[in-house]
Amino acid sequence: MDTAKKIVLFQCQWCLYAPEDQDWVDHHLPENVHLTKVPCTGRLDPLFILNAVQGGADGVMISGCVPEKCHFKEGNLSARRQMDEFSDFLNYVGYDEDRICFTWLDLQDRGRIQKDVAEFSKKVEALGKSHSLNTRSVLPQGGAHD
Amino acid sequence: MTELENRILAEAQRLLSENLADVVIAFKQADTPLRPQPAFFTDAEAVNDLVYNGLCQNNLANYLTRYPREKKIAMVVRGCESRSVNALVLENQHPRENLYLIGIPCEGIVDWRKIVEAVGEDVLSVQDQADIVVVRTPKGEFTLDRAALMHGSCLRCTQKNPLGTDVTIGKPVAEQDPHLLRERVKNFEALGIQTRYEYFRQESERCIRCYACREACPMCYCEECFVDHTGPRWTESGVTPAGMQGWHIIRAFHQTGRCTSCGACERACPMDIHMTYLTDKLNTDMYDKYQFVAGLDAKTQTPFAAFNLDDKNRFVAGGTSK
Amino acid sequence: MTYLLKKSEVNQTLRAWTSKAHVYAPQKVQKYAQFLPVGEDFELSVEEPHNTRFPPKALFLPQSETLLKYNPQKRELESAKTPDQPRIIFGIRPCDAKAVTLLDSVFSSEDNPDPFWQARRDQSVLVGLGCDQPCATCFCTSVESGPFDRSGLDAILTDLGDTYAVEPLTERGVSLFENLTVASAETTQTIQAIQEKATREMPIAFGREGLKAHLDELFENEIWEDFAKSCLGCGICTFLCPTCFCFDIVDEVRKSTRERNWDTCMFKVYSIEASGHNPRPSRRERTRQRLMHKYSYWLDHTGQTGCTGCGRCVRYCPVGLDIRAMVRKSVATPSEVPHVD
Repeated sequence: MDTAKKIVLFQCQWCLYAPEDQDWVDHHLPENVHLTKVPCTGRLDPLFILNAVQGGADGVMISGCVPEKCHFKEGNLSARRQMDEFSDFLNYVGYDEDRICFTWLDLQDRGRIQKDVAEFSKKVEALGKSHSLNTRSVLPQGGAHD
Repeated sequence: MTELENRILAEAQRLLSENLADVVIAFKQADTPLRPQPAFFTDAEAVNDLVYNGLCQNNLANYLTRYPREKKIAMVVRGCESRSVNALVLENQHPRENLYLIGIPCEGIVDWRKIVEAVGEDVLSVQDQADIVVVRTPKGEFTLDRAALMHGSCLRCTQKNPLGTDVTIGKPVAEQDPHLLRERVKNFEALGIQTRYEYFRQESERCIRCYACREACPMCYCEECFVDHTGPRWTESGVTPAGMQGWHIIRAFHQTGRCTSCGACERACPMDIHMTYLTDKLNTDMYDKYQFVAGLDAKTQTPFAAFNLDDKNRFVAGGTSK
Repeated sequence: MTYLLKKSEVNQTLRAWTSKAHVYAPQKVQKYAQFLPVGEDFELSVEEPHNTRFPPKALFLPQSETLLKYNPQKRELESAKTPDQPRIIFGIRPCDAKAVTLLDSVFSSEDNPDPFWQARRDQSVLVGLGCDQPCATCFCTSVESGPFDRSGLDAILTDLGDTYAVEPLTERGVSLFENLTVASAETTQTIQAIQEKATREMPIAFGREGLKAHLDELFENEIWEDFAKSCLGCGICTFLCPTCFCFDIVDEVRKSTRERNWDTCMFKVYSIEASGHNPRPSRRERTRQRLMHKYSYWLDHTGQTGCTGCGRCVRYCPVGLDIRAMVRKSVATPSEVPHVD
C-alpha cells in the first residue's frame, strides 16, 4: 500500500446513525485512511487539520452532522465557519483545497460514508502525492499515537 | 518640536494634571534614531520627551492588555490603533470608559527598512518632514521621498483617520481606495498554487522563532501561546520547516476577524519576513463572506464568535466539497 | 608576516578552499547578509560596514540540532554523529569571533565539554575581517574588545581599498595564505595606522569601572520596571546576540528525536517550573536577567563581560531599546544598598 495516497478522516462520533456504518469506519476502512474520531466537528481545531497535512496527508476528510442535527446543538455551525475559512486559507498558502473534503451526514444517509470515502480516495489518487506543507516525518500506517 | 507634538503634549499634560488618566501611552525619542520608543507618562511634569512622527512604528494598543481593568489609560491612536482598541474592547480586554483615546489622523508609517535599504544600516539621525525624510549618516546627508518609504501596510491602509476617539488632534486626511488590500490578495491568488507555496516556504524558512510578530501584535495576548504548549505539543519546537510553517499559518489564522492590518508584526520581524499577505487574505475573506471589518466598532461580534444557520459555504449536506 | 590578498581574487581563493573544507562566508539573503556555504555561484557580501544580521554563533551552535535519535526497528538510541568536516569561516567580524571564544567557556569547559560544539570548533578556521569603519551602533571598545580584536581568529584581514592585508595569527591561518605576496614594511605601517585609528575613534559607550558591583546593587531597583515597560518580550535581542547561548532540550515524539533549540530568557516559558511557579514572572525580571547576565553574572563565572559590543540588539530592537543606554541609565541611578566595609 506504499503507493496509495494517505487520507485522514476526522469523524464526528455522532454523525453515523447506522451501527453498521460506524462499524465499517471503525474496523474496515481502507488501509490508507487514517481515522481520528472527534466528539463533534466543533471540537476540530485548525491545528488538527494542519498536523494531518504536515504529517503527509494527501487528503483530509471531515464528516459531521447536518445543521440542526448536531448532538451539541450548534457545534457543527461554528465549525462550518472556521473550517471553511481554514481550507480557503490553506489553499491560499499552497495546499490544494480539493484535498480537503467535507461531508455532512443525515439520518437517511445510511451507507453514504463508504461511498464518500471511496469517491474522495479516487479524487485524491488522481491529484497524486501532495508536495505542499508535508514537512513533518511521515505518518506511520495505522496512525501515530503519542 | 512640531506643532502636532506640542498639541499632543499639552493634551497629555492636561489629562495627567486633571487626573483624567493614570497613564498616557505615547512615543518618546529613543536612543536609536530609527525607532522612537513607546513611552508611558504618569507625571504631567515629566511629559517632555514625547515625540510623534512617521517612524513611530509600534501599535500602541499592544500595551493595553498589560494594565488592570480599573486603570484609566489615555493613548495616542492612529487609524489602525483605534481599530485594535475597538477589537480589544470587544474582547473585553479593557472597559471603554477607562480609556481616553487621543486620535491622530495618520500620514502613514515610514518603514525603517526602506531607509536602511536606501542609505545603509548606519544611521545617525532621521527627520520626518511633510513630504521628505532627511537622514544623516556617516556617509553624508540624504533626502528621501517620504511616499517611497511608506510601509506596505500603510500603502494599503483603509482607515487612516482614527475611529471613536475622545479627542482628535490634527486635520483629517483623505482615505485611500479600500480595494488595495483585496487587490494584493487577488494578485497573489493569481500566481498559481505551486508559486504560492514556494513563496510561503521561502518566507517562513527565514523565521528564527523569536516571536516578535506575536509580541508586537495587540491581538496576541494569550496567556499561553499554542507554540508554548507542551502537552500535547502542537507544533515542532525547532526551526524546522514544519515548525516554522505551522507557526505562521496558525498565528495568522488566530487573527481571523481580529487583525486590523496594522503591519506591526512585519515591522517587528528581524528577518524581513512578509506575513501581512496572510492576514490580508483572512481580512478580505471575512469581508466577502460576512461583511465584517475588524475594529470598526466595539460591538459587532467577530465572525468566528458567531454562526448562522444560513451560512453559505462548502459544507454541503450530503455532498463533498464545493 | 603580513600578506596581501587582492579583492578581485577573493572569490577564486574561497572557491579553491572548497576542495579541502566547507567554506562559509557572508552572502546576501533578501536584503541582509548571512553566513552561508560557498558554492559555485556565490556572491560575497562584506562591503557593508555592519555585521551579518544572523549571528555566526549558529555555525557552532545551530538554532536547532538533533542530539539523538530513537530507532524503532532496533529499539535503541543512536547518538547523532558529531560533525567531522573541516571548515573555513571567512569574513567573521572580530566581535563575533570573540563571542565564540566566550562561548567556549560554556561549551568547552574541561569538566563538561559539549561534543558537538567541540567538534565544530576543532574543525573550524576563522578568518576575520577587521572593522575599519565601525558603525554608530557598535561599542566593542567599551566591552574589553575592539574593531581589530584578534581573539578566536586564525587570521585577520584589514581593508586597504582594493586589497586585503592578511595577518595570519595561528599555524592554521598561515597555511591558508602561504602563497600570497608579502606586504612591504610601509604597508604594514599603514595597516597598523588604520587599526589604531579605528580603535581610537570609537566612542566609549559607558565606563566599565565598578559597573558590575553597581548593577548588583541595583538588583531590586525599580529601574528595571522602567526598561520593561516598552519591552515587547520577543527574542530578537537574544537570538541575534552572538554570546547568548541558552537552549532548551525537547523530545520530538513524532520524529523520535531529541533536539536542542535556542531558548531565550526573554520568554515567559523559559523560566517557568513544573509546579507552575515562575521565578521570573514579569518582563521586569526578564529584562534585568538579560542585562545582568551579560554585565554581571558572566564576570562571576569567567571574569569576562558577556557582551562583545556587536550592536545587533541595538539595531534590531523593534521598540528602540538600546542596551548601551540601559547601562548608562543604570550607572546614573544611585543604588539604595548601603556600602558595608
